Amino acid sequence: MNGQITRNPKLAWREVDGEMVIISPEDSHVHELNETASLVWKHAEGKTLDELVEKISAEYEVARETARADLEELLAALGEKQLMFVSPEAKG
Amino acid sequence: MPSTPVMDGLIRRTVQRHLPWSVHVDLTYRCNERCIHCYLDHEDHGEMKTAEIKNVMKQLAESGTLFLTLSGGEIFLRADLFELLEFARSLHFDINLKTNALLIDAERARKLRELSVRKIQISIYSAEPEVHDAITKVRGSLERTLTAIRFLQAEGLNVKIACPLMKQNLMAYRNVQALAAELGVPYVLDMTITPKMDGDMGLLQLRSSTKELLPILQDITLNPRACSTDSSEAVAFPTGSATSSGIESQAYDDIPCSAGHNSCYISPYGDVFPCVQMPVATGNLRKQSFEEIWFRSAEMNRVRAVRESQLPVCSQCSIRKYCERCPGLAQMEGGDLLGAYERACELAEMNARIAGVLNPLSAMHAQKLSTKVCSIPLPNAATEARIGSN
Repeated sequence: MNGQITRNPKLAWREVDGEMVIISPEDSHVHELNETASLVWKHAEGKTLDELVEKISAEYEVARETARADLEELLAALGEKQLMFVSPEAKG
Repeated sequence: MPSTPVMDGLIRRTVQRHLPWSVHVDLTYRCNERCIHCYLDHEDHGEMKTAEIKNVMKQLAESGTLFLTLSGGEIFLRADLFELLEFARSLHFDINLKTNALLIDAERARKLRELSVRKIQISIYSAEPEVHDAITKVRGSLERTLTAIRFLQAEGLNVKIACPLMKQNLMAYRNVQALAAELGVPYVLDMTITPKMDGDMGLLQLRSSTKELLPILQDITLNPRACSTDSSEAVAFPTGSATSSGIESQAYDDIPCSAGHNSCYISPYGDVFPCVQMPVATGNLRKQSFEEIWFRSAEMNRVRAVRESQLPVCSQCSIRKYCERCPGLAQMEGGDLLGAYERACELAEMNARIAGVLNPLSAMHAQKLSTKVCSIPLPNAATEARIGSN
């Protein structure tokens, strides 16, 4: 899991009091991200998981392994809701 | 968008912070229909150019606007519509359109889907072409609009029918209901006919009287009050305003509505108003920034300061919960943003009666009645004495 992370480009979103509010145009579902997920939403676009782990662990003084485990779990949850995707890793 | 706990919480926060969460922008007042009830002047008096609108969108995004409604006039008459939509998409707005759909073909429907437009509201006045076309004054308009709806649906886009009701199509609501069911789309019936923007009240002649509206208000498929035996039950009448932001919520608490609190309206000329139905000019985007108008306009702050509990007449009204008072219409029809107005009082009394309230009387009507009683001349005391002495 180290492909490029991208937001679903169809979504509408805005930050309200540090938390992301996201709307899916197909079903009008409103998603509200907590502070941590909102942080990932803001910083993850275009990065790989390795790059994101680096950024989060440096900025928030968290051990790399902890940051990686938490981010993997979070990205899987965001992916399940079709909010963020991790593209397959380029081979070779 | 329906009220949900998440949405209610967000609405409370955006109101507290005065975040312009939902903005309605009319891109043009030009139109290819000539609807008999339309309140607009269709001449172009200098619409904002593409770059000006993009600049406004940028400012809105920076100010926290999420819900962007683009309307008119007829938006598809703007040659730059898709350029503007692409720009809006790049700023991550939730995009809603209001259109008569006459100019939507399969290709344009596809583009709208690619741009992730969330909802397209389309006016239909009747499922009978002769009734619809007589209102739009364009022969064949119903057929063209329905064809466009099918193009939009083929792309999986969300369509909503808006049906403004007036004398000419009052009972057509039933065939519009059936049409919406057949198409599988939601609909809103709007009983609001407003004066023209220049203040001309002539259009109000088209409005059905509250007596004429009775069959609609009593229709249990529309109005849960009509079948409720509990007069204490306060339920929202499931019709609404075709011009509102469509974000419904009980979270507005003591403020009359979202206007000026977390929503506003921008005209094609850059004028900013608290709402499309509230003619209180607060500034112009060609002369001032959006933030300057939104946060510092004295007029915007005056609208923002209004609280339901402080309305001089309406706060005393015993049937307030049956009323759908609109502050903008109070200004337009009664001349007072804080005041009561005849239409709202009549409808509230009708709704309360339907819900089982005995002899409902609005506070405004009660006041008028007491003024009338007091103004009946009393017999002169001296005359009385003379009569008694004989």
